[in-house]
Amino acid sequence: MGGMASSLHEAPASATRQFAEDLRQRSDTALVALLRARGDLAVPAPATLRSLAARASSHTSLERALAQVDALVLQVVEAVTALGRFPREDVPHALGAAVPDSALPSAAARRQIDDAVEAAVTAALLWDDGGALHPSPGLDEVFGHYPAGLGPVRGETTDTDRPLTDRLRATPPEQRAVLEALAWGPPVGRVPPSGTRQREAVDELVGHGLLARADAQHVLLTREVGLALRGGRTHRAPALRPEPTGRAVPAETVAAESASAALELVRRVSVLRSAWSDDPPRVLRSGGLGVRDLRRLAARLECDEEAAAFVAELAAEAGLIRDDGEVDPSFVPLDVAWSELDDADRWAVLARAWVSSHRTPWRVGTRDEGGALRSALSPDLERGWAPRLRAAVLRVLGSSGNALPPDDVVAVLTWEAPRNAPPSTAVRGLLAEASWLGLTGAGAMSPPGRALLADVPDEPIADALRGVLPPEVGEILLQGDLTGVVPGRPSRELASLVEIAADTESRGAATTVRFSAASVTRALDRGRSADDLLAALARHSPVPVPQPLEYLVRDTARRHGAVRVGVASSYLRAADEVTLAGLEHDPALAHLRLVRLAPTVLVSSAPPALLHETLRERGVVSALEGPDGRVLDVRHRRPEDPRGPRPPAARPARTIAHGARGGTDAGPPVRSQPDLSALVAGLRAADDDAHASEPDTARPGDAARPPAPPPPSGTDAGTDPGTQPHADGLALLREAVRDGLLVRVDVVGAAGKLERRTLRPLRLDGGRLRAVDPARDAEITVAVHRVARVAALDDGP
Amino acid sequence: MADGPLIVQSDKSLLLEVDHPRAADARRAIAPFAELERAPEHIHTYRLTSLGLWNARAAGHDAEQVVDTLIEYSRYPVPHALLVDVAEIMARYGRLQLQKHPTHGLVLTATDKAVLTEVLRSRRTAGLVGDRIDEAAVVVHPSQRGHLKQVLVKLGWPAEDLAGYVDGEAHPIALTPVTTPRAPGEEPREWAPRPYQAQAVEGFWHGGSGVVVLPCGAGKTIVGAGAMARAGTTTLILVTNTVSARQWRDELVRRTTLTEDEIGEYSGAKKEIKPVTIATYQVLTTKRKGVYTHLELLDARDWGLVLYDEVHLLPAPIFRMTADLQARRRLGLTATLVREDGKEDEVFSLIGPKRFDAPWKDIEAQGYIAPADCVEVRLTLPESERMAYATAEPEDKYRLAASVPGKNRVVETLVARHPDDQVLVIGQYVDQLEELAAHLDAPLITGATTVRERQRLFAAFRTGDISRLVVSKVANFSVDLPEASVAIQVSGAFGSRQEEAQRLGRIMRPKEDGRTAHFYAVVARDTVDQDFAAHRQRFLAEQGYAYRIVDAEDLLAA
Repeated sequence: MGGMASSLHEAPASATRQFAEDLRQRSDTALVALLRARGDLAVPAPATLRSLAARASSHTSLERALAQVDALVLQVVEAVTALGRFPREDVPHALGAAVPDSALPSAAARRQIDDAVEAAVTAALLWDDGGALHPSPGLDEVFGHYPAGLGPVRGETTDTDRPLTDRLRATPPEQRAVLEALAWGPPVGRVPPSGTRQREAVDELVGHGLLARADAQHVLLTREVGLALRGGRTHRAPALRPEPTGRAVPAETVAAESASAALELVRRVSVLRSAWSDDPPRVLRSGGLGVRDLRRLAARLECDEEAAAFVAELAAEAGLIRDDGEVDPSFVPLDVAWSELDDADRWAVLARAWVSSHRTPWRVGTRDEGGALRSALSPDLERGWAPRLRAAVLRVLGSSGNALPPDDVVAVLTWEAPRNAPPSTAVRGLLAEASWLGLTGAGAMSPPGRALLADVPDEPIADALRGVLPPEVGEILLQGDLTGVVPGRPSRELASLVEIAADTESRGAATTVRFSAASVTRALDRGRSADDLLAALARHSPVPVPQPLEYLVRDTARRHGAVRVGVASSYLRAADEVTLAGLEHDPALAHLRLVRLAPTVLVSSAPPALLHETLRERGVVSALEGPDGRVLDVRHRRPEDPRGPRPPAARPARTIAHGARGGTDAGPPVRSQPDLSALVAGLRAADDDAHASEPDTARPGDAARPPAPPPPSGTDAGTDPGTQPHADGLALLREAVRDGLLVRVDVVGAAGKLERRTLRPLRLDGGRLRAVDPARDAEITVAVHRVARVAALDDGP
Repeated sequence: MADGPLIVQSDKSLLLEVDHPRAADARRAIAPFAELERAPEHIHTYRLTSLGLWNARAAGHDAEQVVDTLIEYSRYPVPHALLVDVAEIMARYGRLQLQKHPTHGLVLTATDKAVLTEVLRSRRTAGLVGDRIDEAAVVVHPSQRGHLKQVLVKLGWPAEDLAGYVDGEAHPIALTPVTTPRAPGEEPREWAPRPYQAQAVEGFWHGGSGVVVLPCGAGKTIVGAGAMARAGTTTLILVTNTVSARQWRDELVRRTTLTEDEIGEYSGAKKEIKPVTIATYQVLTTKRKGVYTHLELLDARDWGLVLYDEVHLLPAPIFRMTADLQARRRLGLTATLVREDGKEDEVFSLIGPKRFDAPWKDIEAQGYIAPADCVEVRLTLPESERMAYATAEPEDKYRLAASVPGKNRVVETLVARHPDDQVLVIGQYVDQLEELAAHLDAPLITGATTVRERQRLFAAFRTGDISRLVVSKVANFSVDLPEASVAIQVSGAFGSRQEEAQRLGRIMRPKEDGRTAHFYAVVARDTVDQDFAAHRQRFLAEQGYAYRIVDAEDLLAA
């Protein structure tokens, strides 16, 4: 591509200055757009446009900016960085976007590439001098030695008379093969052993200046030759936005599966609440739920542990369960209005909690760096990026009407931010969560999922779920084999009836249940009588209750309660029934609450010692029986309603810090944005002042304006964009490295005294400056945080 | 279909609403690939299993048909994962094939080499196969054909058996349109196989080998005869006992062109080998000095067809022995393919898939078996017996509860309520039965009764000379007593579902006057007897026989 106006050897003029000048030329709107695209530049607010430019070209800020751009923008920026000054209209060619036959990119590709260039310019990753694009200063450092897999720039090649392309065309096949192998990078090759034909070829190429020696072992393909071999392209093909097609799923299927998933989740949360109110699991000392408790929960929920962990996490996130804050803490359900809500509203509570959740339940069961198992509900599942990724996953799912396989979702998210791609396990974990929540059905986004994504005010997302729920059925078909079938979604009343009185055998579009002595006993335990239960069943059954079922209920009820268990603290026995009868009715002993269990046995809720003493006082010569092989339970258990509300926690919940959010329709949190326009206006004003006082912007480093007050010691200068004057100094150093200029540096010495030196900086990385001190002809290394001031000297090479 | 008769659950069960107008269509459409699990009054439950789907593949149905059928009859959208699963399961069938190779004999070939490698790496296939011929084929020891197929099913890669069947020695057999009388006083009658019997024979023949499930009393022998006529080859018939062997012989002479001379009996008593030979399971499994002495029977002739009567009882050694018979057509007959040992699948993989199955109530509705009224009589034990029961050792509890003296009065009352019926009293414990026989003044048949005496008593019962008979478990199976219309069960083999069904089967032959059969189970309340009874009744309850419960007190008072 001889005609292409790429300029690899841009004069070492001050790129930083030109970049700063470009920013100054930008309109206020463009500056606002820049600050919007790169939020880190605005916080804290930069004092001047020049410090803005310095900060924008700092390593950290560039890394951060590149982490946010998609693969195509990244390609564009990388291409321009590799090519140097480069005409905008040639970018599509450089990215390999040309359609094979016409040598022109397709219109769609062209449009995408143009947009990408625009985005890169807006974000000040590139700047446009009106004719050509330039990379932001600092980018070459970010991209490393071989941007786009291209080797270093070497100014001179021997035999410069003939154009490079002609010379390459003339190379014999062996040499050609060597060049082709290095053409698309990495551009470094190992020198073959001497005496081989490849070695000859390599030596020839070095001789002709088509390869450069890097050291004794390695050769380099220079950028010019590499580009020529690639036909002037930096990339084989542009990374256009992936357009996954996915798999079409009928809308009714999506709706039905979404509805059944949502209902199942709501059911599981309810089951969890009732299970944990009966038997609250302990909170581990490290916070979180023990493995055995999780396993037990999974068994209770009839799902795997992964799904069970999700249910527990979601319930905690929605404020439905929490650490009770006792000395020996347990997880308990929180007394909230859950039971009063219908299925759709309950789902809305869960879905809302999910969107903003910082939790990463899919990591439960994996091990942390220390090798410890991560447990559900433990604090270390908290991740700040989780809500963002949740939103991103929903957005990608929502961009298609079809079911997208997880790989495709990962591919899109990776394209959107290749330098900051989400881990595929996280994406898969979130996709599983979305399907458990019914945000997808059969893999495609469902109407409730779309409602949550759009989140239109005044359109409760619960209504979106109501729209897909199948109609309720209030009927159960009871059969002679003691089973029953609810041929659809059971109404609330029916659901609670079968939940307590029968065992579910199959769940789904319909529910099949089996009645057994155990299940009927359960209903009786909840205070239902046989008649009551049979009447309730008859009410919901279109056919008479089958006789075997009726017998089952009645026979079970007859036996229910035949053996009774109660609590007593002490007993009183005597051979003489009359003595006991007298004591039982003695008003002076009423406070002992004596109850006659059998003609010769009374029990009391008073402790044995008290009972004994009181009786003695009353003149009854009682004897105290020792344990004598029998256990005498003297401990007094505080009677407690197992499902009732717990006393308020004495101290805040330990593990679920953000637990009780409880709100039903609170929108997602809005990130507060600084007023960017005001900020830009301020910058402009400051800049005008600076111009008025000092027109010579090309020489920033004189003593009147010390560019870099020392940063607080101990701060890593390279990673702190907040101290902009310092960044200014760094920019000067970077520029000096690039252009081989001399600078005057004030260094804080070991004793804290300033030392002024004139240096030629060689490298700047890892918070250290390597430089040559021409006066002493020595190479020195200085920690950047010791550099107090930098000023440019004009006597370049 | 918005209002279909079928609800497809994601756990692969299919619920069919019986009273729906399209229920019959749906039932026909899903029958080839779904197993009927329960058939109570309102909703029948079918289940999709891997085996069922593979059998459907073997019978020429593909995944698309299955999916279309489910979608067509489903009331709600069919769970997507289930459809995907169905397609995946069905795609596993036939990647491996058993074939005849011109030089290597029986070989296992693969259309998917990775699958072959996977199954050959399993320890389970070791010893069943020989040398690898190439990447896609391996030699199979012909004697391991059955075992290998069984193992491959367990590994999830069922083989398509293309090796075919040997024709066996031809021996023409035909069904006669008029019966040949066998008993004194019996008149020749015109007859023809019932439609479902013909269907069962066709289903079997089309599939090559397999199991036909028909209710007791629905004429399984005729299905066997029909299969023999269709095959027209020498046939080996394996039955449960000698009485049953003789019944088979009589039925075959009665309804086919076979004469008595062509049918041999190979039992403890006789060792005849004829073109059609009827052998008992017992004689085949007899061991002397650690070896099965009667195995030569299996090779005695070039059998073209092997029939297994009451295939659900097939003892484990027969499984192994008859694995060698994989090259011959095999037909299994049963009313109750439930095994408490859970080995139903082995029956399927060794004999072949289920080729025909009809819910009992369907056959009843067609009038081919008698309608039956099942009653459980619950007897409350008196205080003294409750105490004895409460303190008994656990292993004695069932016996104690099942043979409480109070049952005798209940049985007497029940018998008295059926003065004009032929009544069977069935039980487990001989002393209990002896007592009952004495009470009722009825003859008793137990394992100790000679075959001759048994046959005499059964014959007298059939002709009506005796109207009450007390029997032990020897009469559980294969005893044809067409006129019995009342059975009273006092005790049984713990919770055996199929025993309960078989006992009901004794009285299900349709009666001349269309009378309803009565089945009584007398159960002691609040004991393990009641718990076992609940389990025993499960199969029948699932077939739609809802038990009515009557309190013994009410019965005695009435």
